[in-house]
Amino acid sequence: MNALRAVVAKEMVDALRDRRSLMSALIFPLVGPILVGVMLTTVSKTFAADEDEELPVAGAQHAPELVAFLRNAGLAIVDPPDDPDTAVRDGDVDAVLIIDADYGEAFIAGRPAPVRLVVDRSRTSASALRRRVTGTLGAYGSKLASLRLLARGVLPEVVQPIDVEVRDLATAEKKSANILLVVPIFVILATFIGGMHVAIDSTAGERERGSIEPLLLNPMSTFDLVMGKWLVTVAFSALSAVLTLLFCGLVLMLVPLEDLGIGLRAGAFEALAILLIVLPLAPLASGLQLLVSTFARSFKEAQTYLSLLLFLPMIPGFIGSILPLRTAAWMYPVPALSQQVLITEVLRAEPTSWAGLVIAGVCTVAFGVICVWITARVFRRERIIFSGQ
Amino acid sequence: MIAVDGLHKAFGDVVAVRDVSFAAADGEITALLGPNGAGKTTVLRMIYGLLRPDAGRAMVDGCPVADDPVAARRRLGVLPDARGLYPRLTAREHARYFGRLHGLGGAELERRIDALVERLDMGAIADRRVAGFSQGERVKVALARALVHEPQNVLLDEPTNGLDVMSTRAVRQLIRDLRAEGRCVVFSSHVMQEVSALCDRVIVLGRGRVAAEGTADELIATTGASTLEDAFVLASGGDLQAANESLEAP
Repeated sequence: MNALRAVVAKEMVDALRDRRSLMSALIFPLVGPILVGVMLTTVSKTFAADEDEELPVAGAQHAPELVAFLRNAGLAIVDPPDDPDTAVRDGDVDAVLIIDADYGEAFIAGRPAPVRLVVDRSRTSASALRRRVTGTLGAYGSKLASLRLLARGVLPEVVQPIDVEVRDLATAEKKSANILLVVPIFVILATFIGGMHVAIDSTAGERERGSIEPLLLNPMSTFDLVMGKWLVTVAFSALSAVLTLLFCGLVLMLVPLEDLGIGLRAGAFEALAILLIVLPLAPLASGLQLLVSTFARSFKEAQTYLSLLLFLPMIPGFIGSILPLRTAAWMYPVPALSQQVLITEVLRAEPTSWAGLVIAGVCTVAFGVICVWITARVFRRERIIFSGQ
Repeated sequence: MIAVDGLHKAFGDVVAVRDVSFAAADGEITALLGPNGAGKTTVLRMIYGLLRPDAGRAMVDGCPVADDPVAARRRLGVLPDARGLYPRLTAREHARYFGRLHGLGGAELERRIDALVERLDMGAIADRRVAGFSQGERVKVALARALVHEPQNVLLDEPTNGLDVMSTRAVRQLIRDLRAEGRCVVFSSHVMQEVSALCDRVIVLGRGRVAAEGTADELIATTGASTLEDAFVLASGGDLQAANESLEAP
């Protein structure tokens, strides 16, 4: 117990005096939230721009009624580019509507009047305008059809055998969850970045400096030694996660979320829940990092290994974005995956599974302890103590 | 009191130490003398228990190192080959950390640290961070942390290696003081003058074996050499005539 206290005190002083350790614990919590703020502001700007979207129209003089209808639907009609195909292909404009010269003639004759919409379907940024224009054109078409039927003494209902009404069940919380999912990703990343340098310095650093041999000449157990190093690493990792969450909250208060059309209901409860879910990752990340960097002969080698390790907590997110994962009981004991599942539940304002939260927390910490135990076992290996000499 | 019996250690195909046995008594300075690569460091590492011997055993005050390494380490103060320090800690903090790992603390630990600071003449550097310390200052810090628990047995691996004259004299004085306190001191060296000036007993290692053993005078007598240096060359398996000729050659 005395030895453990001595190791914790020494590693804490050492880490607090290390600029690199402090930087990795304190800079990342600033970078993440700033990125969130920039992302959300950009998104809210594109949403706000929705109101006066511009649509270039060629041959507007052939169909003044249609153009007036489009204008009424909130589209700003502008002059067309010289070569519509090239302009759309190059992305200079999102779409061009071309009204042919024989539009009026066909219209009067009661034949389908030709209009052409030039778009690039592979461009996702243009899809909103494309849907909007085709929708408006469709509405204009059915309005005309109704009028023509009425003129012939037929009720328009005759040609409308089914009435489709789409009810969007996505609540405001669910919509915001999709965007706000980046916040927990940053908090999870913070647990892996916050303690990274402390983990490297107290394992690979000891080997590189040649201080591991004199250190192991002391009569403490290696378990006390590694445990002390682990506790300090966990403190840095957890501090980094808490700061990231705090700064994210600050940024979300400053970003005009109302412009996004999402009422952000995430408040102190959600923040606390995220913290409860993510904090068990700190002991896991720290244990894993200590174990991996113990096998590294130098600081640089350890940095290479640990930056690869950063992808580990991202894997469930990547898979989740490709294959929609349905929450299942087996996911709760799996570190990183369980956190992903639980956070999604919280942000969608779905009932939180408390049993799942406890199982996830206990299992994640347990994996961290196993890493510490293995690290303590390998710390006294001759290959670890005397390499590089 | 340190006793080793039939120590054997191989790294892959290379046998570093074969059948080494000797004893080092309390109140005496014992030197492990040998050229580079003779196995001195390997023998010391097996005594302080960080290397496991393939055969044989080492005892510290009657305590078998392999079976009870913690008890052995409590009785040992070691200046190992690797003297890595923590650049962001001060000299005093190094001694305090190791003292606390030995279960010391409070006023007693501070008293011992103060005594070591005075003994090693570290007053001016004791509260400075060790980054940028000279070689001599680094060895002093390493010695302070090795001796803070006042061990009965002291192992020093080439303690004066790379030191200037003043630092070397300070370390030699410390070794004599440790003997005067009745401690068992074992140090390794390849420097002849140092060994003959300090040591009560010399164990000559050559190619992983004990080549000769005794006081400096005994070694000269048994090998029929005229100086300890000649005795060293003979005992460690060299050809004295060839060695002398190569020295005299332009």
